[in-house]
This record gives sequence, structure tokens and C-alpha cells, in this order.
Amino acid sequence: MKKWLMLLLSVFMVFSLAACSGSTSSDTPADSGDSGDGEEKQEEVKLRIAWWGSEPRHDYTLKVIEMYEKENPGVKIQAEYASWDDYWKKLAPQASASQLPDIIQMDLSYFSQYAENGQLTDLAPFIGNQLDVTNFTDNYVDGGKIGDKLYGFNLGVNVVGFHYDEALLKQVGVDSLSEDWTWDEYKEVAAKAKDAGLYVDTGMKADVFFNYYLRTQGKSLYNEDGTALGYEDDQMFIDFFGMTSQLVKDEAVPTPDYMAQIKGIEDDPVVKQDAIGIWQWSNQFVGLQQVANRELKIQNMPGPGTSDGLYLKPSMFWSVANNSEHKEEAAKFISFFVNNEEANKLILGDRGIPGSSVVKEALKPVLSPQQVQAFDAVAWAEQNSSAFDGPDPIGAGEIIETLDLLAEQMAYGQLSVEDAAKQFRQQAESILSQNK
Amino acid sequence: MSTRALKQNVTGYLFISPFIIGFLAFTFIPILASLYFSFTKYNMFGDPQWIGLQNYEKMFNGDPRYWQSLKVTLLYVIAGVPLRLGFALMVAMILNTASRAVGLYRSLFYLPSLIGGSVAVAIMWRNIFGDEGIINLLLVFLGIPDVRWFGDPTAALWMLIFLSVWQFGSSMLIFLAGLKSIPVTYYEAASVDGANYFQKFSKITLPMLTPVILFNTIMQTIAAFMTFVPAFIISKGTGGPLDGTLLYSLYLFIQGFEFFNMGYASAMAWIMLIIVGILTALIFFSSKFWVHYESEGGK
Repeated sequence: MKKWLMLLLSVFMVFSLAACSGSTSSDTPADSGDSGDGEEKQEEVKLRIAWWGSEPRHDYTLKVIEMYEKENPGVKIQAEYASWDDYWKKLAPQASASQLPDIIQMDLSYFSQYAENGQLTDLAPFIGNQLDVTNFTDNYVDGGKIGDKLYGFNLGVNVVGFHYDEALLKQVGVDSLSEDWTWDEYKEVAAKAKDAGLYVDTGMKADVFFNYYLRTQGKSLYNEDGTALGYEDDQMFIDFFGMTSQLVKDEAVPTPDYMAQIKGIEDDPVVKQDAIGIWQWSNQFVGLQQVANRELKIQNMPGPGTSDGLYLKPSMFWSVANNSEHKEEAAKFISFFVNNEEANKLILGDRGIPGSSVVKEALKPVLSPQQVQAFDAVAWAEQNSSAFDGPDPIGAGEIIETLDLLAEQMAYGQLSVEDAAKQFRQQAESILSQNK
Repeated sequence: MSTRALKQNVTGYLFISPFIIGFLAFTFIPILASLYFSFTKYNMFGDPQWIGLQNYEKMFNGDPRYWQSLKVTLLYVIAGVPLRLGFALMVAMILNTASRAVGLYRSLFYLPSLIGGSVAVAIMWRNIFGDEGIINLLLVFLGIPDVRWFGDPTAALWMLIFLSVWQFGSSMLIFLAGLKSIPVTYYEAASVDGANYFQKFSKITLPMLTPVILFNTIMQTIAAFMTFVPAFIISKGTGGPLDGTLLYSLYLFIQGFEFFNMGYASAMAWIMLIIVGILTALIFFSSKFWVHYESEGGK
């Protein structure tokens, strides 16, 4: 009895020890004993891919993946998609465990963080081999560069604007918005909307629009090398957020708690005709229009200084994780995604206006009027914008969250704009100073 | 030691080896690592850089959100734990009756705690307290103005506290065991002397239960301090509105896994350990004055 027990336990011990030291390496092809016929077995490649987005994006991306799998029978792609917030919370633990998906959708605000910490692969070696860039301008491809390394492939460019319902605008007594409208005119529209019992918009994402405002004044949110803020005079902060929080106090813009209840684009006040418009990126226009299911228009940002403020932002990238075991295969998929005409007829500029001239040409006949609107907005901005500042510095995620929180506190009237300006400078500088 | 004794010891060690290995690999070594990380700047990707006490300095001087999270957590513990224990005791008293269906009810009342910490419950809670949710409908029905549970930081925190009160099952079971262990003869003797229900409760039940109350208070305080899932789900991982639900563990998670300040998050974890340690010690110290053990012949 005792002996049996001892034997059983020793066996168990061996197993548990083996399990502890077990690191399965999949790059050694295991001989499974049936290698008598000398036939090469087609190894199935498994790729994981992750992105953030809304329902329509998930749907067409899955279709594109299906398309790719049909063309490449040896490849199986496993999709992991989530909303923006959840996405980054999932990605970070995966990064620390070297378990990142092979292909990752990357945003500018996290790009430096992941790239400079060695999480992403330099795609330059794949260019001309697996990655076909014949139809792209160098400028476009370089959007994904940090230093001299290409850490992500640009999926398209976007520009911010005001996407609005013209019928509602007329209803509150404003006939149209002109190309050279100003912040003052915007405030007038807001006042009229309020009087008509509507919201003018749903607020502005603090970091994006504050940065636009700073650029119109020749400044920016971060300085060149990402070690400090890019503006010295807190009056700019006070002017901009004074305006936005005043609009909330005037009830021309919904309060943050009203916005917190919104679960997705489907409940958005613009869709429900409770608000005239929404401030967002050009690639979000089509999705919004589909859900709203009525005619919407795109208006460029208010001035003065619109063309200094505007820039073409690389909307997002496909990056390849450094821990990927199939980097070439991943690069092949990216190449398919940005070059294949049929695939892009599904994508239709949702991830930004595509860079490939061939794809743009092929899309022309199939674009819906709404997509043409988004393409036109970017084409207009190409003529009326200035250089892009480059990816956000490390720590941007924390700074953006700090700014969002302060903006919320100002909107609730819990914090004066002057105090918020001081607090923001102090906290942002302490985060950025770590990049020195 | 004779060979036989040695053999016996080896058998014993073999039996506990799974735990020992697991404990070393997943508890002890990580604890030491986090202590080391708390003195470094570490972003999980690169190598940790030694920065001495900077993380601790930042916590106490340069991080308003840290103090907010501490405030929220203390309120959550101080308001939540007594409510939860009171509720658990009340239900335990009710279930401590000799009726035939009592077994069924005990299981039913324990259910919320079984599924309590789960994501699904937190999502359900979100919907119950939504603007159009059942709670607000009920309030309107009763003629009370409805509450924007997600717009007001205090209301959002109370929503979390209610969730914790609703998961009273485990402490209830322990109370139930405590109630069962009080000899019936005490109550009979009290009845003979003409004691009413309230006197029986305050003079017999409560004093006899104090050791169990102490145990529950300590366990629940520690558990409440470590609460993460409901706050994470209900605030969509932000701790909002206005950081009103930014529980300590949630902020720790945000710092570590969202901002990649793993060193700072480790320092936060150690401070949390110290705070929980002090609280537990205080409860223990106070127990001299209110806990009554039968074996010591009264106070």
C-alpha cells in the first residue's frame, strides 16, 4: 500500500516538475513517427489579430479575414475584437506576458509606448517582399515610423470635423455653416440650439480638440521631443475649456453623466435627433450615418487658423508583435488588407482614407454618397492642413486620462478652469519629464 | 532520526509539495519581486530602473487621484462592511428557525454570494441602476425622484456598496453556525426569568456571537479592501464618474496595466498591505473590549 502510494506520488512529482519547467517551443517541427513517405506536411499557420471598433467594423473585418483565409488555405486567423476602452486594458497584460496577438491594431496615443518598449516589429525588412507598397506615397508609409523604424503600417488618414444634421441646423434657425466659420459663430449656433431645446453637439474629446486649438495658435499639446507640454501660456487652456465647460453649464451640450449612459453609437444623441452634430474623425462619419440613417453633412473645424490647426492624422496602424512566430505571414495579411481591391470594397475607408492610389481608384464607383463625403473632407484637408506632429510621447495615455478627468470636473462645475489649467500643467509635466 | 521516521517525513513532504511549489512560484517569489519593483521605475517591457523612494513620494505628494482612491475605498469599507454584516446577521436570525423549508431558503439566500464576484452580476447591477432601470422605476413609483446613479460620484459608490451588501451569503453562513452553537438552555433559562425577545437578543445572542462577529469583521474588511471586479465593470474600467468609484485596486490596475507604471503600482500594493494590516490590528486590539469568550469565563 505504502509503496504504491510512494510510486504514485513520485510519478506526480515528475509531472508537476516537468510542467513547471515546461516551455513549449513550437519552432521545432516534431516528428510524429509517420514520416516514412517523405511527404511534406503543409503546416497550418495560426495568426491572432486584434482590433478595437464598433459593430460595423467587426462585421466587415471578419469578412475580410474570411476572404484572406479562402485565398490562403494554410492560414487560420483568430480574431479578438473589443471596444476602445476594453481593447487597451486587454492588450497591456498580453504585452507583459509576451502573448500579444500577431497583428495588432495600433493607435497613435499608444504607438510610442509599445514601439519604444520593443513590443513591435520593424516592418521595413518586409517592404518589397511580403509587403507591397508600390502604390503608396513615401509620406503615407512614413506615418508609421518612429525614428528610422517602421513600427506600423498606416491604414489611412483622417481629419477631424463637425458631422451634423443640416435639417436640425435649419430647424434652430441657422441656414448653413461656411468654410471659414469661427468659434464665435459656433457659440451662436450653440445658443440657438439650446433655445430650440436641442443640444448643439455631444462635447469634444479633450485632448484631440484642445490640441487642434493649440495648433491654430502655433502651439501643440506636447513639445517636439515629448518631454514637456508644447504651450507655455495657460490662458490658452482657460480659453478653450472655458468655452467647452460654459456650453455644458448653458445646457447646450449634454452633461458627462448623460453621456456616460450611452452604450454605443446607436444611442448617440445625434442618432436620436437630440443633438445637431458630433465632433469626430472623418472615418467615423460613415458608421454614424449608417446608424442615423438620414442625411448628414461634414463641416471643417472652426477657425481662425483652421489650416494651421488641421493635420492629416494616420488613423491607425496594423503593427506586428515582436513575440509573433509568423511575422512574414502577418506582413502578408497586412499587404492584402491595404492592397486588395475587393477587401477594400468591404472596408470602404472605415479605418481612414486608404493610401493606395489603385484602391482609391477602384473604390470610386462603389462609394456611397456618404463615403464620398468622407473622402472629400480628407481631400479638402489635404489642401488646407499643416504637418502632423508625429506620434504621441510615452505617457500620453495617462495625460489624456488626466485631461479627460479635469474636463469632466470642469463640466460638472466642481473645478474652476484656472485651477484645472494649473493642475493639468503640473501633472502632465511630471509625467512627461520622465521622458527626458 | 531513524530511516523509518525519515521515510515518513518524505511522504509528508511529497504530499504537501504541490502546495509548496505553487506557493513559491505564484505567491512568495512574486511578493518579493513586487517589493523590489516598488523601488523602481518599471514598465513591464524594459528593465526596472532603481529610483529609491520616488514612487512612495509621488503617492503622498504628487498624485491627487491616489488620495481620491483611498478616500473612496475607505468609505466603501467603513459604510459597506457594517451594513453587510448587519444584513447577514439579520438574515441568519431569520433562517435560524426550525421550519421545514429552511434548507431551501438557506441555499437560495446563499446564491447571490456564489455568483457574487462575477462579471455577469456586475453587468446586471449596471442595468438595474440604469436611468431607465428597475430601481429608478421603483423610486418613481414610490414618488421619490429618480437618481442618476452613473452621473453622481456618491450615488455610484453607494450603488457599489449595495452590491456588496447583497452578497452577504458567506458571512451569513458563519453567523448561522455561530447561532446554532449557542446552547438552547440559556434561552430557556431567560424565558423562565421573563426575558422578552429583545433582551434575549442583546444579553445572550450578541455576546455569544462576538467571536464570530470579530472573525467576520476582519475577513470582510480585508475582502472589501481588495474589491475590484464590480468597480471595474460598473465604471467600464475608468473609476468614474469623476473618480467616484475609483477603488484602490482599480486605480492600482489602471496605473499598472494601463499606464505601464508597474513600479508605482507595486508601491501602491505594498501601502495597501500596510493599511489593511493596521486596520486589522486595530480591530484585533479593540476586540479586548467587546469580544466575549465563553472559555475565559466572561470578560
